[in-house]
Amino acid sequence: MRSRRYGLLVSVLLASLLLLTVQTRGGGTGGASDVVAALMTPVQGLLVKIHRGAVGIWTTYTDWKGVRSENAVLRAEAEGLRVQGLQRAETEQENVRLRRLLDLRERLPLSALAGEVVGRESGGWVRAITVNRGRGSGVAQQTPVIVPEGLVGRVVQVRPGASVVQLINDPASTVGAIVQRTRTPGLVEGDAGGGVRFKFMARDGAQVAPGDLIVTSGLGSLFPKGLPVGRVVAIEDKGSALFHFAVVAPAADFPRVEEVLLLTGQTTQDIAALFRVDG
Amino acid sequence: MRFLLLLSTVGGSVAQSSVVPTLSIGGIAPDVPLILTVLVALRRGPEVGCVVGFFAGFLQDVAGGGLIGVQALTKALAGFAMGLLVGRFWVASPLVQVPGLVLLTVAEGLTRFFLLQFFHYPVSLGGLMMHVVLPQALYNGFVGAACVLFAEGVEAARKHGWV
Repeated sequence: MRSRRYGLLVSVLLASLLLLTVQTRGGGTGGASDVVAALMTPVQGLLVKIHRGAVGIWTTYTDWKGVRSENAVLRAEAEGLRVQGLQRAETEQENVRLRRLLDLRERLPLSALAGEVVGRESGGWVRAITVNRGRGSGVAQQTPVIVPEGLVGRVVQVRPGASVVQLINDPASTVGAIVQRTRTPGLVEGDAGGGVRFKFMARDGAQVAPGDLIVTSGLGSLFPKGLPVGRVVAIEDKGSALFHFAVVAPAADFPRVEEVLLLTGQTTQDIAALFRVDG
Repeated sequence: MRFLLLLSTVGGSVAQSSVVPTLSIGGIAPDVPLILTVLVALRRGPEVGCVVGFFAGFLQDVAGGGLIGVQALTKALAGFAMGLLVGRFWVASPLVQVPGLVLLTVAEGLTRFFLLQFFHYPVSLGGLMMHVVLPQALYNGFVGAACVLFAEGVEAARKHGWV
């Protein structure tokens, strides 16, 4: 057993040495090694191809994974930039609004307080906004509230740090007004549908027409004279009725009002000219 | 079983010249045919280890384009020597097998170096040991450990009838 084992070893060693000797003597290994190489080469080529394929698949997978994570990062980045853009646009718009408000306040011949809308009530029963100015800021009941476009409403409730402003389209709101062009007097009222109408006596309003600007009358010294309220959109002619109604498009865009001026002072001056009224 | 041995011998040698180079770290790749020879010798004894080592080395010589017979001789010796250790030392434990593989790689490297001295191999032993033999021995140790663990796992699975 042992001799066989060592016999094998010796044979193998001799075979190896023979191969080496043949080569060093310049004879080469001849056809035998060529045959082995010829047999091995295609197998090597195949293995390399398989390996390359596997590496290719792996690389594609890692690339895909990389692209996926990169995509997620880029998406988050794009989202962040979009939010930043929106914030910037928002700030710019706010800036424009505040500038207009400040501009109006400087032009007004009475003291005014800027306030920010912090709440809204528009369920239909009541139409009001809450402003972050209250008793502490010197706000009183019935204080007129305006925006650069015109009248918003009046303060109906004063709290320590906030005030509730009844909008002019509130069903319970009534504002003394006139048609600027014809000087027809009447009352601006809110209706249940959220609209605003101008109620005037039929005998005085023959010339009231769509497009006419309605401004506060200044009577009763609650609202200064000349605050734009809205424009006449249509006339509801009730024939022989005592009062006629004009449908009014409010000057202020109530759902979009964000900053307001609370007119804490008083003036007898007609301030209509201070407002930029389009149309 | 013989077919499996032949397949792994040829496959290991061919892989060594095609796939394994991509696993190289700092220019050093594991010697898969040597690892294979050692593992076969550990399980099948010196004769099979010797023959497998011879053929694996021979194929490596052919594929590598060097002197044909050098690795055939050194690997045949390595397989034989490893096979002889079975029964004399407790070589069933991976804790013996892996350091054994490292030492055998060094021994095989030294043998190859001394053999190549007859053919005026122009590299110093120090440089060869530092840059080739020792790093490859370590690499072989790691790969061998993985192979041993894999083989143990397969054997355990077979025992439990999972495979």
